Amino acid sequence: MANSDPPLLSVRELTVTFDAFTAVDRVSFDLHEGQTLAVVGESGSGKSVTALSIMRLVELGTRGRITGGEILFRLPDGAVIDLIQQSESVMRDMRGNNISMIFQEPLTSLNPVYTVGNQVAEAVMLHQGLDRAEAMDRALEVFELVRIPEARQRLGEYPHQLSGGMRQRVMIAMALSCDPTVLIADEPTTALDVTIQAQILGLMRELQNETNAAVIIITHDMGVVAEVADDVVVMNQSRVVEQGSVYDIFERPAEPYTRALLASVPQLGSMAGRDEPARFDLVGEA
Amino acid sequence: MTGVDTTPSTPASGAEDRTPLVVVDDLCKVFPVADRAKIHAVEHVSLQVDRGETLAVVGESGCGKSTLAHLIIRLLDPTGGRIVLDGADITDLSARAMRPHRQKMQIVFQDPFASLDPRRTVGRAVGEPLRVHKVASGNELEERVANLFERVGLERQHARQFPHQFSGGQRQRICIARALALEPELVIADEAVSALDVSIQAQVINLMMDLQAEMGLSYLFISHDLAVVERISHRVAVMYLGQIVELGPRSAIFENPQHSYTKRLLEAVPIADPRRRHHRPLLTDEIPSPRWGPGEAPERVELAEVEPGHFVGVEAPTG
Repeated sequence: MANSDPPLLSVRELTVTFDAFTAVDRVSFDLHEGQTLAVVGESGSGKSVTALSIMRLVELGTRGRITGGEILFRLPDGAVIDLIQQSESVMRDMRGNNISMIFQEPLTSLNPVYTVGNQVAEAVMLHQGLDRAEAMDRALEVFELVRIPEARQRLGEYPHQLSGGMRQRVMIAMALSCDPTVLIADEPTTALDVTIQAQILGLMRELQNETNAAVIIITHDMGVVAEVADDVVVMNQSRVVEQGSVYDIFERPAEPYTRALLASVPQLGSMAGRDEPARFDLVGEA
Repeated sequence: MTGVDTTPSTPASGAEDRTPLVVVDDLCKVFPVADRAKIHAVEHVSLQVDRGETLAVVGESGCGKSTLAHLIIRLLDPTGGRIVLDGADITDLSARAMRPHRQKMQIVFQDPFASLDPRRTVGRAVGEPLRVHKVASGNELEERVANLFERVGLERQHARQFPHQFSGGQRQRICIARALALEPELVIADEAVSALDVSIQAQVINLMMDLQAEMGLSYLFISHDLAVVERISHRVAVMYLGQIVELGPRSAIFENPQHSYTKRLLEAVPIADPRRRHHRPLLTDEIPSPRWGPGEAPERVELAEVEPGHFVGVEAPTG
């Protein structure tokens, strides 16, 4: 992807407050077609609030207020709109169709009393105006897209009948069901076992090649960042500390915070040839 | 001994106590569930923890690693096998008879908020084992609590505060202080650093290593995180479906893994280096369940010693 293309999404000076607390402080970054951008940070850094603000979900059900900045989104016809200025009814149409989101815990995002096929079909009916039979066909199509084995049979199962990994596949299928141009994944593999996480990361990369969607992945895990991201935004205490290509961030981190964060990441293989356990070499530790 | 002898084959030498601190022999735990089915959570596990060493037990959800920890500390009763702590068989001891042995082993859990009473000062929490075991009282108790706070990198004044006044990392330090109050020989860490932010996690791991060096502690370190385990452990046991499939020195497990499951686990770990990005095949295998129907039972994994101290589960040839 050439970064000279106009960005699909451009977050500029975004500021979000919760009463007196500034959770996101003048955050800016661009997202281009086909790009995977990781927003990485520790608890309370503002990374999830940033994601919820792009979806305009931060003002629903929380005391969060977007108090400044722009979130410029390029529609398929080329027109650019500021999501912050859109009404809730416009946003309802944008969510799912243009931008969709997957969350950490698929079990709380799925309704336990409907089959997973019904839930995916409902999203498609709502957003794309298909009838039930067409919507079920689309659900089957996206189940196969995310490589759910025995997809037709799984459509009729309930969330509790699926493993955590399969439920996350259902969530990804649902998020992709309306062909969004931007997919936001908030800690999509954090609740999964490591072998299942590897499958989901591999799947997300493959799907990106197939659909050319732009992906924002919100994570605390530098390993996940290194595996999937093209570019990285490092956040700490509500602000962007540093941003750059994944190679810049891992190999030439400019900011002390980024260097400290990387120094505290346990690296598989870093202990090769040593018999005894070894402390982390932490910056500023007595 | 019914299980395979997984004793490291280092000869005893020197004056220090070379007898293992914990010996677990052929330990089993079966939970009956609905429809006459059974969860074989821990199956024929034999291992030992040496004095001053960290033995890590790794595996994915449902592999039995936490059940194993809870069996060893006698929070659960085993359905078979023996547990020997510092030379004494504690497998069948009553709660009262366990008391003197409890001082020798303590546990630290994953969630430090759930492990601390929100209405009591953290000083009270840390002093509680000393009061319960009547080890100290009055000014002596207060002084020992203050020392414990300093030992884990907190300040003595912190003892007067309440759990909500601390960050997650500080709360886990408080739980470690409480675990150390009775000067145990074994600390079981059950995913003790898993919920912490990575910079805080590194600090707590460093603290655990420092305490081990100072006090000669042994750790049974239960974790799903292989990168953390590589950092902290001397030896590693890999569990799968209730059984140990590989056990050996840290370097053997990480640099020369033999069992197919160990290899799969290691390959799955995301590496924080974009130049070592994996090219992953698109698999959809699921983690199998340890639930067995009536009349079914898991096949026992036999361990073979492939090099000194390195035991590998014998696998049926695939085809």
